[in-house]
Amino acid sequence: MKSTRLLAVLAALVLVLAACEGDAQEDVTTTAADGATTTAADGATTTAGDGTTTAPGDGAADGESLLDEVTARGSLVCGVNDAVPGFGFVGDDGTFAGFDIEFCRVVAAAVLGDSEAVEFRVLTAAERFTALQTGEIDVLIRNTTFTATRDGTEGATFLTTTFYDGQGMMVRADSGFASIDDMANTDICVLQGTTTELNITTLSQARGLDMQNVTFEDNSALQAAFEAGQCDGWTSDRSQLAGVRSQFPEGPEALTILDEVISKEPLGPVSRDGDDDWSDAVNWAVIATIQAEEFGITSANIDDFMETDDPEIARFLGLPDPTEGTVFDPGLGLPTDFAQQVIRQVGNYAEIYERNVGEDGLGLERGFNALWTEGGILYPPPYR
Amino acid sequence: MTSETARAQVRPPFWRDVRILKVVIQAIFLVIIVTVGWLLWNNLIGNMRASGLPTGFDFLDRPAGFTIIDSDFRPAQTNLDAILVGVKNTILVSAVGIVLATVIGVLIGIARLSRNYLVRKSAAFYVESLRNVPVLLIIFFASLAIIGRALPQLENAWQVEGLFLISNRVIAVPWLASSGEATFPAVLPAVFLAIPAAALTYVWLRRRELRESVRRALLVAAPLAAFLLAGGAVLAFVGEPSQVSAAVTFWTSLLTVVTLAVRVAAWRTRLSDTTGRPHHRVLWALGTFVVLGAVVYVLLGAPLDLTGPRLEQRRISGGISMIQAYAALLVALTLYTASHIAEIVRGSIQAVPRGQTEAATALALSPTQRMRFVILPQAFRIMVPPLANQYLNLTKNTSLGVAIGFQELTTVTGTVIGNGNPASQSIAILMLIYLTFSLLISLVTNIINRRLQMAGRR
Repeated sequence: MKSTRLLAVLAALVLVLAACEGDAQEDVTTTAADGATTTAADGATTTAGDGTTTAPGDGAADGESLLDEVTARGSLVCGVNDAVPGFGFVGDDGTFAGFDIEFCRVVAAAVLGDSEAVEFRVLTAAERFTALQTGEIDVLIRNTTFTATRDGTEGATFLTTTFYDGQGMMVRADSGFASIDDMANTDICVLQGTTTELNITTLSQARGLDMQNVTFEDNSALQAAFEAGQCDGWTSDRSQLAGVRSQFPEGPEALTILDEVISKEPLGPVSRDGDDDWSDAVNWAVIATIQAEEFGITSANIDDFMETDDPEIARFLGLPDPTEGTVFDPGLGLPTDFAQQVIRQVGNYAEIYERNVGEDGLGLERGFNALWTEGGILYPPPYR
Repeated sequence: MTSETARAQVRPPFWRDVRILKVVIQAIFLVIIVTVGWLLWNNLIGNMRASGLPTGFDFLDRPAGFTIIDSDFRPAQTNLDAILVGVKNTILVSAVGIVLATVIGVLIGIARLSRNYLVRKSAAFYVESLRNVPVLLIIFFASLAIIGRALPQLENAWQVEGLFLISNRVIAVPWLASSGEATFPAVLPAVFLAIPAAALTYVWLRRRELRESVRRALLVAAPLAAFLLAGGAVLAFVGEPSQVSAAVTFWTSLLTVVTLAVRVAAWRTRLSDTTGRPHHRVLWALGTFVVLGAVVYVLLGAPLDLTGPRLEQRRISGGISMIQAYAALLVALTLYTASHIAEIVRGSIQAVPRGQTEAATALALSPTQRMRFVILPQAFRIMVPPLANQYLNLTKNTSLGVAIGFQELTTVTGTVIGNGNPASQSIAILMLIYLTFSLLISLVTNIINRRLQMAGRR
């Protein structure tokens, strides 16, 4: 009978909706039940239960912050890259490694006390901000440049810059190009949806070079085109170019990175707008690595600092003050000994840098990425 | 008690009355759908506002900030213009791909039924190897291997100066280009577009039963309406109110000439049906086309020139060129869809009843005549709906161009999103545009299908 069939269809629909409710990670219908009604009621969106949205501005006052949710979940979801040697890539044994990967572990060590409690989500340049906005990832540490538009319209909050980079151009060594001004009427390979694409367009227009951009979604297609000679130059962050060059099949000598630095590319972790508690927590976890280097604390010698008389270091490591005996808690929502966890389980900034992009990695000099006391511009704010 | 009152008194209660239940259940279903939709929509808007994301479509007017290869698009133009360039590229691939795939597919489909062993087996090999591979892999292969490696680099391109140039970056052939700066009043293309409209109205009217006064009114009104609409369209697209380039005028006049050629062919067919003499309609149509085309060409003062490609400082001037990504996507989609179309054609030919073949043989028709006059016309009727499906597939598969960096609609929308524009609205626009393409293709193929159907079938 027709009505029996209709009833069966309705029952199936209800079952499907009920099943969707059970998924806490990315359900839309449950938050609809709370979010919709409270939006209508008082304008500020607050959620009960396990919602992922918070009121704009002050997350601490009402509603839950991502900090509580991550702590409750026990693992951190980190948006990363898997195709950039030195920053985010998958090694031969199938594990993630790189500068950005280690900062994911830094955040996990600070918030959760376990640097291995991280789930990595590989994202393309085009989808990374959408993934952040929708709550698919907790934090984006994927060689992302800090720009005004991203801060504004992308709903992103940029935290401490971990790597001051610049945009460069890589060409074949036998191409005869000595500088970018030689490259009129050339085709340049570049990734779609990046600041590098915008910058090279602006440069080409300003200098009248009539360069054409050959854009790709990911580095593997781009590299294939570059190797086949379908474009004359490859533009990207200089650190990325160094990584690619170091692993080029024909050998690093086949490629040249031109000297000119096309633009500023400050790279750092990114969190979602509107969740100050979470942003602050992640920010100070990252700053702790730089502060540790300033104090001279490494993962090897941290035990020597456990009995320190220096009140600054004691406060930083979450130890009782030598004179007062109190433990310092700045109210970030992090455990008081988060700096210890970070240094013990991952290391300080210098160690992270050398392991991945320094001497033991890509071989890049510290340059701007050194401490302010050593000629660079890394300047951690005081922990007090 | 009469039997009618007895029946009237035995009406079931409303909660068991099938007629009422049907309506009630559909109403409940509708309410559920609308409620779920409203909840999802509200949640979307609420979440976007909480994250500070814009919910309107203002981003379409913002400068795009990126270039699109192989077009006149400037970074200062708006996001909407960028999306339109993407639409144009998608249409370029789809249109050429559909035509080529049909031609190749029909040939291979017929080849699979050949009595020649080598021809039959080669066609089978082609079909089976391409049909069973995911189209994305074919696209990668076309881009990396066929275009990327098999063709030479630009410095060593295979070229004949002024005739053609083939390299792994660009393939160029001669083409018509605007010569001189002559302009014509905008009314001229409008006239050229109104003439086919009048012809089509006449044809449409002839097949319908209408009152004489209505017929005459429509015969006057339709060309007039078409003239006004066409004039408006020309003004909207070209901008300059009084002058239009000779090239635009020429291409619109081409439409008129083609329509007239088709009408001449139809007239010859009707003539042949009444008098029984051979119609030679193809020759007549071609003749009309050439003569009228030449007249228009001369009248407009030779508005187009044939130019060949020349390589100057790494850039091609003259002729028409296709970039590596376009060539790769076109090759891949054409070969893939042709393999599917070949199977459809083969199936349609085999679906024509065997009695037709035997009857044709009994009438002493040669195999070619048999295929051309008996089998293929009936096979075409069968194959139109599945072919429409393949055309839709090809159009939607162009979105895979994002994998090789071809700047079609999906790629451009992805760049727009990556540059800080709201994703929900962009994807909504993307889906609407693909829906429009699909509906247009369906519309055209449905019209063809209805024309081909046997009388009495609806």
